[in-house]
Amino acid sequence: MLSYLLLSGVTTGALYALVALGIVVVNKATGVINFAHGELFMFSGFIAWSLHVQMGVAYPLALPLAVAAGFALGALTDRIAFRPLIKADVISLVLATVGIAFVLRGVARIVWGGKGDYLSFPPITSPEPIMIGQIMVIPQQLAVLGGAILVMLLFAAFFRLTRAGKMMQATADNSKAATLVGIQTARIYTLSFGTGAAIAAAAAVLMAPLTLLYPDMGFAFFIKGFAAAVLGGLTSLPGAVLGGLSIGIIEALAGGYIHSSFIEVSAFIVIMFVLVVRPTGLLGFSRLRRV
Amino acid sequence: MNLFGRRNVLLALFALAAIAPHFVNTYHLFVCNLILVYVLLSIGLNILVGYAGQLAFANAAMFGIGAYGTGLLQVHFGLPFWLAFPLGAVIATSVGLAISLPALRVSGLYLALSSLAFAQFTQWVFLHWEKVTFGAGGFKTPTVSFAPLPVSKPIGLYYLTLILAAVLFLLAQNLVRSRIGRAFVAVRDGEVAAESLGIDLLRYKALAFGLSGFYAGIAGGIYSAMLNFVSPEGYDLFQMVLQKAMVVVGGLGSVAGSVLGAGAIVALLEALREVKGIQEIAFGAILVVFILFMPGGLVGFLKRKVPGWEEPLHRKGAGSAPAPAAAPAPAAGEARP
Repeated sequence: MLSYLLLSGVTTGALYALVALGIVVVNKATGVINFAHGELFMFSGFIAWSLHVQMGVAYPLALPLAVAAGFALGALTDRIAFRPLIKADVISLVLATVGIAFVLRGVARIVWGGKGDYLSFPPITSPEPIMIGQIMVIPQQLAVLGGAILVMLLFAAFFRLTRAGKMMQATADNSKAATLVGIQTARIYTLSFGTGAAIAAAAAVLMAPLTLLYPDMGFAFFIKGFAAAVLGGLTSLPGAVLGGLSIGIIEALAGGYIHSSFIEVSAFIVIMFVLVVRPTGLLGFSRLRRV
Repeated sequence: MNLFGRRNVLLALFALAAIAPHFVNTYHLFVCNLILVYVLLSIGLNILVGYAGQLAFANAAMFGIGAYGTGLLQVHFGLPFWLAFPLGAVIATSVGLAISLPALRVSGLYLALSSLAFAQFTQWVFLHWEKVTFGAGGFKTPTVSFAPLPVSKPIGLYYLTLILAAVLFLLAQNLVRSRIGRAFVAVRDGEVAAESLGIDLLRYKALAFGLSGFYAGIAGGIYSAMLNFVSPEGYDLFQMVLQKAMVVVGGLGSVAGSVLGAGAIVALLEALREVKGIQEIAFGAILVVFILFMPGGLVGFLKRKVPGWEEPLHRKGAGSAPAPAAAPAPAAGEARP
């Protein structure tokens, strides 16, 4: 029981970690939270479904295509809701991304919602569980876990080793200084929104074979990814991964030992608790408030 | 006094609303009543978001708490509506006050998200505390009777809402021009500066949250009586976006704007009744378009074009009022708690 719960917790946790990673990438660079992040996740999942199920594109090809679509949608979000409002206040920024979230949700409901509200994605591995030692494992979970780790490694390599990744780091660190050394920060913001959404898209495509797709799923994943990001400190990339895994495990244990309805609510309780008790999260650092 | 100034237009709207029941059918009366309910909601939300600058997403939850409070007190304890209704508003007010406590520790984005988490938590309680809230199916509330008065329920309820909306509109209008309203605006434009002027952040934030909870609670009680039915999905995220759209369309930081925004959005909502997806696209797009191209809302437009709509303490960049010092740019780290 415990080992099974832990494994499923780690699997969903890895997905939350990816969603959280996207939130943190955007927040590090721009200082805002993209409230449409969950909807970008959902929308990319549906795009992958259309490519794979409706058009018959092979899964290994559907995944990068959906990730590319996610990147484009993220960059579009930046152009519509962030770049024009860069001098506006936080309220306007947040409400604009909320508006985008609802547009995406409505489009998804019209395009994909009429086909039975829940779309299933065919599994990419055999659905038969296998035994590893004493633990019963569904191969799909291992595929998800492996995929999530791969995405994280790819992102880490991009962020640390490439020129674009280093420019993102510089902008996150100090956007004025980055401008001074010739980095076009507005482009980096677009890149960050795009990268964040691309990671979310990868998470959605990995997750799709494990569960069902439905237009309202985005918000649930956004809130959980955000809980993970907050737990990790909101500006820390390793913190996002750690937070995601923790939320996944907390959920699985709460669902297994208390009641299944607690799966939905544990993330909210974690958010409220962390924000009140330790707003800097596990790996965040406190910063003095500027006056 | 200008002929088309704010006071004349609002008085005309009020007079129109007062005689409306004699001319419209049952459905239109329901829509008019709905507009009044949303006027209450958006005034409350505007005090919190537009004046006090607290970006909270819990208003739909407090609306729900008002509705559930009023309904459940009648169903479980057999209280009459006239007692359950004010008690429901009191419960919503106290919840509003309670969630202002975390608001003191967190601000900006963190407040938005923690209140969003709170709203989802409330939804979860409505759905899963089945012994008390009757779960996802909702429950029926007793029909309100206006016994000694010779009016039917829809008309009686309509006038009750109209009177409450008018009184609470005037209250809000006077409040935001008072010392309290100026304190709200000072908190919005700079918390540290406000504190250094001797404004007690705790008191004024709690007051703003409590007020918005009160308005939402009143609206919720009336809404439950209008429908004779309470269920969780009426108080979800979509509800929240509707209310945010009203405040933005009307004009952040304008009580009169809340009235216009509520009217415009409810009319559009009823016109788009058929398809949920279209509604979501429409309201999402309206939110984005107004924020990008008309940040002052309808009121901002009126203020530029029509004399007699000037309002002190309006949000910056929206017409006649000189812009206060620019709010800090949303740079990284600015929203730290």
